[in-house]
Amino acid sequence: MPTLLELQRTMRTGLIEREVEAITLSFADGGGVDRLDIYRNTILFALTRALRLAYPAVERLVGAEFFAAAAERFIAEHLPHAAYLDQYGDEFPDFMSRFPPAASLSYLADVGRLEWAINCALHAPDERPLEFSQLAGLASEKQCRVSFRAHPSVGLVRSDFPIDDIWRAVLSGDDGAMAALDLAAGPVFLLVERGEAGLEITRMEKSAWGFLGALCRGEPLLRAVNAAPGLDTVNVLADQFARGRFVAFAVDMHEAAASEAI
Amino acid sequence: MSPTAKQGSLIPAKAGIGLRFQHHQSVIDTQSDVAWMEVHTENYMGGGTPLRYLDAIRRNVPMSLHGVGLSLGSAEGLDPGHLERIRQVAERIEPGLMSEHIAWSVVGGAYLPDLLPLPMTEEALDVVCRHVDQVQSYLNRRILVENPSTYVTFRHSTIREWEFMAAVAARTGCGILCDVNNIYVSTQNHGWDASAYLAGLPPAAIGEIHLAGHAVRQLADGTTLRIDDHASRVIPEVWALYQEALARFGPVPTLIEWDNDIPPLEILLAEANHADGFIAATDQETGHADAA
Repeated sequence: MPTLLELQRTMRTGLIEREVEAITLSFADGGGVDRLDIYRNTILFALTRALRLAYPAVERLVGAEFFAAAAERFIAEHLPHAAYLDQYGDEFPDFMSRFPPAASLSYLADVGRLEWAINCALHAPDERPLEFSQLAGLASEKQCRVSFRAHPSVGLVRSDFPIDDIWRAVLSGDDGAMAALDLAAGPVFLLVERGEAGLEITRMEKSAWGFLGALCRGEPLLRAVNAAPGLDTVNVLADQFARGRFVAFAVDMHEAAASEAI
Repeated sequence: MSPTAKQGSLIPAKAGIGLRFQHHQSVIDTQSDVAWMEVHTENYMGGGTPLRYLDAIRRNVPMSLHGVGLSLGSAEGLDPGHLERIRQVAERIEPGLMSEHIAWSVVGGAYLPDLLPLPMTEEALDVVCRHVDQVQSYLNRRILVENPSTYVTFRHSTIREWEFMAAVAARTGCGILCDVNNIYVSTQNHGWDASAYLAGLPPAAIGEIHLAGHAVRQLADGTTLRIDDHASRVIPEVWALYQEALARFGPVPTLIEWDNDIPPLEILLAEANHADGFIAATDQETGHADAA
């Protein structure tokens, strides 16, 4: 008699790897594979639907049938780690970039990365933005050593292709706009966020995008400023606060010692 | 014990409907006159638009949280991160009832999004009871556990499903979400007796009833199997079993579930209205019985 853990492992093997013999032997009913497939179909349906909801433009670009086949391959290799499917599928763009049948669409994986940032922005928890006045009480030498936590809806994506225009054209079904795109126009640096008015996708200058990226990764302000020569960091920073893109700050004392040493 | 004492603190012993994203706006626009609603906890774990709708709707309508992913039957234990997400949703939504399933979905740290069947064994019973204790203690409230729809049974099962349900309630003090459609589906699939199933459940533990539609499929070997797909109206046989359940349990909050091929809101409300008719009839009968 299998333990519960053994049975659950065997069932997973039957459902996902399709090695069905061991689990169907433990069923008291005939037609075991058909019965197992009812569960398998529900699982595949739910996970494919989660991917379709997160990657609608990727699905339109490759077609529903191709998408479903790719999703089935992806699912077998990448089961969700939690019962929170709004966060399922972050590895899908990388998977598509390595998936030979999809290789002809050079921008496909980047469109997927944009859609993942959009998915995260739409589902991010609600958090109250940090007010600039909350920093006012800091002594000026500490202000340089401060680091920020970005609003969880904020995502940064870069691509060699105009993926924001591609995404809009694909989802609006605008073939004219799609045909008019200049794929060689140069890289785009995008900021994705959920603002008051809903989803916003903004093109940024490369240097401002890099500066904001450093701050979003939690790098101290002084280091981020030093790494952005020529950028009007005061204005860019003020703009981030005006848009509510930070939710918390910290003062790193190690960083304080390091910058004093400089 | 009076039947009305079984209802949740905020959820009335009337019919409610499952709230799905498609109906967010029409529920607000029409200010639908529905006694209560239930949502899937997992659909409101982030922020943004869905949660804003739920915040607005629950101001006027008592809300129940129905979890589909906690996996009470996992041998390897509960995912503490998921339990915490559930707690956070509950803190914000202040539900009148909270429920989970007698099933499992997680093994080896992977989530398989279905309510997978448990063997009815002493070991599985111990695992489920330990997890129900853990959840009730973490959330600091009583939960309801729902009986499953199943398409297989296991050779090494030793406990009848309704006895398993009753034992979980008795050992942990949790309530039972009696899914009448699931009882119909499982008893038809396995050749059990639906009336015996109902008779085996402790009336005092029944905190909610679920009703839904299901599909009928033919397997390759000719067996007919009923599949709990929540994609159609409640069938007459299930309405009949529902009346039998009400006669046993008294008036109980009853939910119309519809998750696939979701119809216009009016159809859901009409199904709820139909259930309300049976609840009212039970109420009257109970009243007569009390008077006598």
